Amino acid sequence: MRLPDSVTGSFLVVLGAAAAYGGWILPPVPGQPVGPNVFPLVIGCGLALCGLAIVFGIGRSFEEEEVLVPLEDGRAAAPPPQGRLYGLRALLPPALLLFYVAAADRLGFIITAAIMVYVTSTALGARWKLALPLAALSPFAIHLIFGKLLRVPLPAGLLPAPW
Amino acid sequence: MLKTLIDAFALISTWEVIIAMFAASVYGLVIGSLPGLSATMATALLVPVTFYLSPIAAIATIVAASSMAIFSGDIPGALLRIPGTPASAAYADEAYAMTRKGQAELALGAGVWFSAVGGIAGVLSLMILAPPLAEIALSFSTFEYFWLALLGLMCATLVARSSPVKAIAGMFIGLLVACIGIENPGGVPRFTFGLTDLFGGIEPIPALVGVFAVAQVMRAMLTPEPPPLPRRKFGSILAGQWRLTKLYHWQMTRGNIVGIIIGVLPGAGADMAAWVSYAMSKRFSKEPEKFGTGHVEGLVEAGASNNASIASGWVPSLLFGIPGDTIAAIAIGVLYMKGLNPGPTLFTEKASSMYAIYLMFIIANIMMIPLGIAMIRVAAYILLAPRSAIMPIIMLCCAVGSFAIGNNMFGVVTVAAFGVIGYVMEANGYPVAAMVLGIVMGTMVEQAFVTSLIKSDGSILPFFERPVAAILAAMAIGALLWPVMVWVWRKVKQPQAAAATTR
Repeated sequence: MRLPDSVTGSFLVVLGAAAAYGGWILPPVPGQPVGPNVFPLVIGCGLALCGLAIVFGIGRSFEEEEVLVPLEDGRAAAPPPQGRLYGLRALLPPALLLFYVAAADRLGFIITAAIMVYVTSTALGARWKLALPLAALSPFAIHLIFGKLLRVPLPAGLLPAPW
Repeated sequence: MLKTLIDAFALISTWEVIIAMFAASVYGLVIGSLPGLSATMATALLVPVTFYLSPIAAIATIVAASSMAIFSGDIPGALLRIPGTPASAAYADEAYAMTRKGQAELALGAGVWFSAVGGIAGVLSLMILAPPLAEIALSFSTFEYFWLALLGLMCATLVARSSPVKAIAGMFIGLLVACIGIENPGGVPRFTFGLTDLFGGIEPIPALVGVFAVAQVMRAMLTPEPPPLPRRKFGSILAGQWRLTKLYHWQMTRGNIVGIIIGVLPGAGADMAAWVSYAMSKRFSKEPEKFGTGHVEGLVEAGASNNASIASGWVPSLLFGIPGDTIAAIAIGVLYMKGLNPGPTLFTEKASSMYAIYLMFIIANIMMIPLGIAMIRVAAYILLAPRSAIMPIIMLCCAVGSFAIGNNMFGVVTVAAFGVIGYVMEANGYPVAAMVLGIVMGTMVEQAFVTSLIKSDGSILPFFERPVAAILAAMAIGALLWPVMVWVWRKVKQPQAAAATTR
């Protein structure tokens, strides 16, 4: 996900400009020169300036390239498979969290959590022999700690916890 | 004084605090030793648990877990050459070289021993520095607070191991996030886009969990699994440490002092302290040629340094609510929730609680020695746990923990969103710590800024009129111009060097 500096910089310019404009149109406090609009205006302008500086490559010389440490005795780490969709795997954890938000109330904590654990575990390369027991047991353990001991109101849904 | 101390002892000698500290220590040791799970992440995931504890027990868990995690990151660093936490990265190569020379015990023993010494030095700095600074801070007006906050934010950008422009941009992003909500000078909904969930603003804790935990799981999706730890028998771990202490007492002291200074600087934490101390140790060593071949000297200095920064990071946090590092940023969130709002009055009104924090730091660092040795001995078994078994549990804790903070699902959405933001920023060289600082300090900066502007009635002079404000202003502006000066210096020097070589 390494994007060129010109892309991230331009994004910051747009974000900064939007923030400054958003601050600008906020209603002022009657009878006072400064209100809620000043701070976003300042930040937005600053952000846009930083964005411009990044686009033009100012400050690049300070960046240190990451050095990859090779493993000992020539056991070089296998290069990760570089398919087109490989990079999208990184989006799996946030997607699963959003799935939790959408499904937990209907399915209940235990079932939703089991699905999350199974998917994450498999995506990280676990066989079903590990992923399945993990998905079956860990939701109950977490429910015991958070739901029972710490009294977090976790949704019961289809399968309420046995306690 | 004595009465406060006795009160403090009474506060911490309850079963709740003792159990909380012990459990958090074990938790910190385990999380810290697992590669890819950092001390900050360990602390962030603890926050939901702290809701259900008394204020002192809540702080106890954070103190214990963070101190232990910073040490235990040395274990996989020495045995696998993979640092368990970023704070151990500076000397992982050196420690691993020692292990290959058959000195694993000495390397790990130095880790545990000098971590404990460093931690205690850090607490002493907290005890000595904080009360007199609180005295001075009592006379601060909003002008001083404004410059102090600005100085804090600028420090974070100066010490980042990245482009200062990107660090400043990261800081602005954090401040922008802090703008969201109705908690602003006018009490109007700002950047809420009509969503009622955003009226209360973005809570710092879910944002931190997202940036430090979810982003880490995202990175794990794309990186290969670290190799398992070879099992080995350890000899005596503390043998020879006293000899090292006497031999390298000057390096140890220098490491402690550097760690304390870096800890106090906002935004710079244990990892920076370790890098700087290791570099200093090599620079000033009598035998620099031994560095990199398994020489214990750098380990002593850097190990003493990174743990010292943990405690001294609490100095600006307790006094001004300006986090000394990312762990302290989380601690500030917990302090607010527990009614111990950071500020100079904390040291007069809640003095016994402050003493309790000092005592807990000392106890945690003493406990580190036996628990750390036990951890080193069982580390081979704990590191057997594959990443595919740990990361799913982390995900569940993220989801449940962020839900528990406000008992609403919006917290989980926040965590997911900040996971993506943190991942993208990190991948493109934007320091995440700067953004975190912006989020935590945003409300305070804005309040100080707007109140000062109202008081000064549009004039800029009052910002510089008070003596302390003028000094702080000069420092903040100096910090802002520093990268520019370095850049100009390099530009001027480069043509000269080029001219010299062609001649």
